[in-house]
Amino acid sequence: MNRILPFAFIGIVLVIWEAAARSGLWSKLLFPSLVSVFHEVVLFFTRAASLMEAWTSLQRALGGFALAAVAGIALGMLMGRSKLVAGLLDPLFSGTYSVPKLALFPIFIFVFGIGSLSKVALVFLECLYPIVIMTYAGARDVNRVLLWSAHNMGASRATILRRVVIPASAPFIFAGFRVAVPVAMIVVVITEMVASADGLGYQVIYAMSSLRTDRMLAVVVVIAALGYALDKAVVLARDRLIYWEKLDTYYV
Amino acid sequence: MALAKAALLIAVLLVWQLAPLPDYVLSPSAIAGHFVQALGSAELYEHVWASLGRSLPGFVLGSFLGATLGLAAGTARWFDRMLSPAVFLTYPVPKIVMLPIFMIWFGIGDLSKVLIIALACFYPVFINAYYGVRQTRTILVWSALNMGATPAQVFRRVVLPSALPMIMASLRVSLALSFIVMFAAEMINARSGLGQLIRIAENSLRFDLMYVSLVTIAILGYSGDRLVRFAHARLLAWQQPAA
Repeated sequence: MNRILPFAFIGIVLVIWEAAARSGLWSKLLFPSLVSVFHEVVLFFTRAASLMEAWTSLQRALGGFALAAVAGIALGMLMGRSKLVAGLLDPLFSGTYSVPKLALFPIFIFVFGIGSLSKVALVFLECLYPIVIMTYAGARDVNRVLLWSAHNMGASRATILRRVVIPASAPFIFAGFRVAVPVAMIVVVITEMVASADGLGYQVIYAMSSLRTDRMLAVVVVIAALGYALDKAVVLARDRLIYWEKLDTYYV
Repeated sequence: MALAKAALLIAVLLVWQLAPLPDYVLSPSAIAGHFVQALGSAELYEHVWASLGRSLPGFVLGSFLGATLGLAAGTARWFDRMLSPAVFLTYPVPKIVMLPIFMIWFGIGDLSKVLIIALACFYPVFINAYYGVRQTRTILVWSALNMGATPAQVFRRVVLPSALPMIMASLRVSLALSFIVMFAAEMINARSGLGQLIRIAENSLRFDLMYVSLVTIAILGYSGDRLVRFAHARLLAWQQPAA
């Protein structure tokens, strides 16, 4: 009983969907049959052109995320280890944290062009916040005794940073990564839906404009799978790198 | 320290004001001027009203469902086993991709936007409510049961208070999310609202309107966040909120 319950809910939803699709009460536009959605998913993976669209979106998401990771860890470390930098940057980050950065996108289009650069820039900006804030929290809360001991044993500032501060804040940094990766996917998809001629977000809008709900749902499935896979990749990397501390969550 | 901060802020604003800027980047004084001018016209308030009319109902609906179902999943094991896998499986998926489907199902008007905002707000509140319940200290539950409390009393007096800080923390996240999704949905398709205002301004090269919309959504996001934090501090006075 306990084994089947997790699948029961998902199964029931899928069965109701398929029944609604086959009942003929609604148009295929509203509830396309799951068989045709699955067919479109298979088509997606066999067409080189659609795989290229996925690759375009993935590049934008990972590009912005990687830039944000480099800049975010550097800024967070500086803020955590220097009172002056923290005093200057903390009000900036906490003050603009709750402001939707997405509103900057039209201006980014003018500044960086309508191509990939404006999207990567927005992904960078949105991912920067969680990474900086978490790295800052981690670098600030390093156990003081460890710092003193390392210092006492004659470690240089660079050694302390590399051997004490970075390992101690690594769990926080990865917690920031886990927030930032779905954000990167969200921003890429939204910006592609709003202004783009390629990428998965554009494919969703394009399929809907051509009234191909089954194809649109197939792209949604691909986006969902991509988001899920990226999240799992972060968790996997975290467990390999931070082997001394297990992620103590239940499902996530 | 405060002096250094003020000096930095003034220096940044001065450089921004005096630097040679392209047409699409306005100087701070120009932005402030356009914003004050827009405050005097009725048009801005109509857009703000339309936007809030979408984001707030979505926020309330999504957060309420998230809190209720999250508490239920944290308390009842069979419910947890049934619902949680579906929620955690779809958690990393960008919810905004459902907007076109919602538009087909619920029409192109406000309903589809409210529901997509509710969907986005549901997840963080559900997950925090769920972990809030699961983090309840077992010893407190045992003591309450030992002293003869009924399961309903345990839930109301022990489980709920210990889950509330997590739920309040997630409301901050979901309120910010509601503004983001609202803005995105309005940019993709709407006839009013701040997101649509910025799209129209962009298409007609009205840079002044673009910045007015930007400043307005920034103020809304910031003050909404302050409001939630204020409510958090008032309601949960016994707990020190994290900065």
